[in-house]
Amino acid sequence: MERGSTSVGVLVIGAGAIADQHVAALSSDPRGRLAGFVDTSAARAGQAARAQGGVPWTTDLAEALAWPGVDACVLCTPNDTHDELAARVAAAGKHLLVEKPLATTVPAARKTVEAFAAAGRTLSVAHSHRFYDYARTVHGEIASGALGRPLLVRLALLGGWIWPDWRTWVIDRERSGGHALHNGVHLLDLVTWWIGDEPVSVYARGQRRTAAELDVHDHLEMVVTYAGGATAICEMSRAHRPASLSARDVVVQGTEGLLTMEWDGEGVLLADERGTHLAAEGPAAGFAAQMSAWLDTVTGTASTGVAGDEALLAVAMGVAAERSMELGRPVSLEEVR
Amino acid sequence: MRVLDVLLIGEYGLGHQNHQRDMYAPAFEAHPGFRVTGRAEADDPLDRPDADVVSVCVPYERRVEVVTRALRAGKHVLVDKPMALTAAECARIAEAAAGTGLVCLPAHHQRFQPAVRVAREAIAAGKVGLPWNVQADFLVAGGGAVWPLGELLNFAPYATDAIHAMTALPVTAVYATGGPRFQDGPSQNSSFQDGPEDLVTLCLTHERGMTSTVVAGRTPAMPGAGGLSLHRYRVAGSHGTLLADANRPAARVLTTTGTPRGTWAGPSTVDRMLTELHTAVVTGRPAELGPADAVAALRVVEAARRSLASGQVEEVLP
Ligand SMILES: NC(=O)c1ccc[n+]([C@@H]2O[C@H](COP(=O)([O-])OP(=O)(O)OC[C@H]3O[C@@H](n4cnc5c(N)ncnc54)[C@H](O)[C@@H]3O)[C@@H](O)[C@H]2O)c1
Repeated sequence: MERGSTSVGVLVIGAGAIADQHVAALSSDPRGRLAGFVDTSAARAGQAARAQGGVPWTTDLAEALAWPGVDACVLCTPNDTHDELAARVAAAGKHLLVEKPLATTVPAARKTVEAFAAAGRTLSVAHSHRFYDYARTVHGEIASGALGRPLLVRLALLGGWIWPDWRTWVIDRERSGGHALHNGVHLLDLVTWWIGDEPVSVYARGQRRTAAELDVHDHLEMVVTYAGGATAICEMSRAHRPASLSARDVVVQGTEGLLTMEWDGEGVLLADERGTHLAAEGPAAGFAAQMSAWLDTVTGTASTGVAGDEALLAVAMGVAAERSMELGRPVSLEEVR
Repeated sequence: MRVLDVLLIGEYGLGHQNHQRDMYAPAFEAHPGFRVTGRAEADDPLDRPDADVVSVCVPYERRVEVVTRALRAGKHVLVDKPMALTAAECARIAEAAAGTGLVCLPAHHQRFQPAVRVAREAIAAGKVGLPWNVQADFLVAGGGAVWPLGELLNFAPYATDAIHAMTALPVTAVYATGGPRFQDGPSQNSSFQDGPEDLVTLCLTHERGMTSTVVAGRTPAMPGAGGLSLHRYRVAGSHGTLLADANRPAARVLTTTGTPRGTWAGPSTVDRMLTELHTAVVTGRPAELGPADAVAALRVVEAARRSLASGQVEEVLP
């Protein structure tokens, strides 16, 4: 923290779509203070800075890390840049909240965890679903023991094509790591947190429905088995039709009970001239809870965020899923670690 | 309406099941198209003039023989599910039925769920375009395990048969997880007991690149669950998505005294299956399902068993 200041100065690296969510969350927590923006695109950095009342901005990360009043960073750049940029943040002695996935390979994720441990700074990863009310509710029910030991978990996050066109890095396999790393890690992390057991292997199947020419799979079915005998079915889709579809489905069958949160679980069904749609609140509340947990971690008040080693496990599971799709067989976590 | 005479043969099933007594006999008796005229055992002669249809629930080691004898005697046959314990035996029944013009119906009655019927028609009419993925859950709360055979054989075929009815895309490969999970009772915290699987997940690859994931199992009884605690199908197609909750139509009932419950508000699946049997017999058109569907279901079960043993993806043998 800046000398004489009680707030945490936060530098946002990468001023794209998701950065807005973090900045909004930061502004709602009195412990945080936006210190500025870095983006390789001057236009984006400048625009973001102006939108926040003229905070500092630059295209040079080294310069920004040297600004006074920067205690911590939120890293919101494309997935393949995370490890290298994180290493520079660790070297500068700042705390970090890095967007998921922690990295696109297991060695890079591990190096990042080790760099922060060596620097004595905290590393948290934005597995934001952990902070959504639905996910916390499911976790709470399992933790309360009401369901007994979880044996089967189903989590489906279904939607249609929401990505831009061929130019976006998100569908570039090298840059995003593949869909299992890009979005798959959200589900893999969440079900593992819910089940609270050691994943053993992943069998994944992917489809390219929107276009056969895609490098990444727009539909993923990832089936994880756990040491204690549980199975989790994670389904992630950007392939469903109509493209406006947005559905989530949760099932937990435990030794003593069944929990379901059905696709229309948010409760608002809107029927209008264009058809029937689900209406739900956006992710804002989840990002605020995530920011609050991160500031707890940075200030040493509590450690309720998603730590680097958990995110490393999610990366390993995502890599196992990508490899499983390549090989057409289950891949054990052993094989990818 | 022509009324068909029914002979009930045997009262055996998987584990403690007695579907003849509990399901088929009452359904035949209640159906206006049938009249139960007699009961018999596996050894009894079947060429009786007072039987158009025989309902077969004889022990598994007698299935092929009794069904074959019934067909030779010119009888239409309803066979309890699973039709036999192996795909090879089902194939022998299929052979015996081939070319006879007789109806030989494996009792896959869950495909007659109203939600499955509607889904099937919508899909067949192209309402979701070309289907490319199905997710299915078939969980039953309570009722007792079908020791020693398990729910991979008992329940999973209902779901895989319903998917087949909906999409008509045969399964080519299976990866399976699961095993005995609940058998020690609800509070026991150990897994991997010796015993049949009571919870399985099947990852199926179908022709035309369709995939499906099927959960099937029997959990401990849960007050208010009323049999099938979860029974649904989600179908993704090139032009739409279909969600079919086979536990509906139902009314949700809360009372000052009892547990919240759903009350089934639709037709009986067994009744609808008997109507299909009746219609096929009296019109002479082929029934919508036959021994080939039992063969297909058992081949998936057998591939799943191999997968559970190997931990790998197993081909469905032709
Ligand atoms: N948690 C979630 O729910 C969620 C949702 C969407 C995206 N994400 C993650 O957030 C990250 C960013 O995604 P996005 O959708 O905001 O992407 P985006 O493309 O909208 O924004 C990325 C920004 O980073 C900038 N940038 C690229 N390389 C840089 C570098 N080396 N240094 C500084 N800036 C650089 C780009 O110019 C761009 O402005 C990704 O890791 C993504 O996986 C998470």
